[in-house]
Amino acid sequence: MTATGLTLPLDIPTVETDRLILRGPQPGDFEPLAAFFADEARSWGFGGPMERNGAWRWFAGNIGHWALHGYGFWTVEAKDGGQIIGIVGLWNPEGWPEPELGWVMFAGSEGKGLAFEAAAAARAHAYGPMGFTTLTSNIFPGNARSVELAERLGAWHETDFENVSHGIEMRYRHPAPETLAAATKTEGAA
Amino acid sequence: MTGFALPIPVIETDRLVLRGPVESDFDAHAAFMASDRARFVGGPQDRATSWRGFCGSIGHWALRGYGMWIVTLRGDARPLGRVGLINHLGWDEPELGWHVYEDAEGKGIAHEAALAARAYGAAHYGLDGVISYIDPGNARSQALATRLGAEVERDGEVMGHPCQVWRHPKQGAI
Repeated sequence: MTATGLTLPLDIPTVETDRLILRGPQPGDFEPLAAFFADEARSWGFGGPMERNGAWRWFAGNIGHWALHGYGFWTVEAKDGGQIIGIVGLWNPEGWPEPELGWVMFAGSEGKGLAFEAAAAARAHAYGPMGFTTLTSNIFPGNARSVELAERLGAWHETDFENVSHGIEMRYRHPAPETLAAATKTEGAA
Repeated sequence: MTGFALPIPVIETDRLVLRGPVESDFDAHAAFMASDRARFVGGPQDRATSWRGFCGSIGHWALRGYGMWIVTLRGDARPLGRVGLINHLGWDEPELGWHVYEDAEGKGIAHEAALAARAYGAAHYGLDGVISYIDPGNARSQALATRLGAEVERDGEVMGHPCQVWRHPKQGAI
């Protein structure tokens, strides 16, 4: 028996905003994630609630998603204090009609515009270095907070579809990269 | 604290290569998991579910430092099954697991792969004398466990499923 080394690529970029760091998962991220999945009121719009073992599978699966697709969910960390405040990222498991931008804020992190800041940064990274040309966000009917954020990001309700894992969801479509770039330019000129 | 890496070694035996999973392995894995052959390993399950499991087994390498290899013949990259060390959250301890796809059965491939994975785990991960969870109705896996020198230690359960806990001999005792 002989063995040689091989390392699957796991190159997870770090993205910084004014207040946040979007980074690859680390061992210490599991506990806040498990707490999120255990909280039905918070996780129902994200495939929850999920018991701890299931949350561990999700945590592992996200790493595999990064390895296979080159993108996935970042852990969102506050620059001030280093607290883990949520996850944001690009998700495209088997059966998804196309990649989506997703976001989740953990308890105590809402109402400060942090989800918007994280999602906008993830989208900008997707449209920039990662080369995405369009993005969707799949939202369960009744998830008013996510709808509000999607609309604040300029996305619109395009259609409803049957998600292979979750049943009927609303699909929001984000503005294209060039539309966002033009909007930024206009703002700068104003 | 730093991020994860995926240090998956490649192991070669007389006939086989054990390597990390790649995306092109997924179709064969999904076909197996959709079939009745997967009834002892959480199946049958649909493609979307098996994709999540496939991703999870890659992430397992990052989280535990060991995991499941894809088994192929030397010189032929087609996946024939999986073998390796599994320790998802909820497991009592790390186990040696194996399954081969339909056209690879009956050739001693699972035996050769399991021997190599077990020896590698003992030598490199400190996992010596590991267990295998086996469904009480899975006669083929019981036969292979016996051939590998393992013995039934107790009745147990994993993920809520009753199963037998087989104990493998330590490497020095083989």
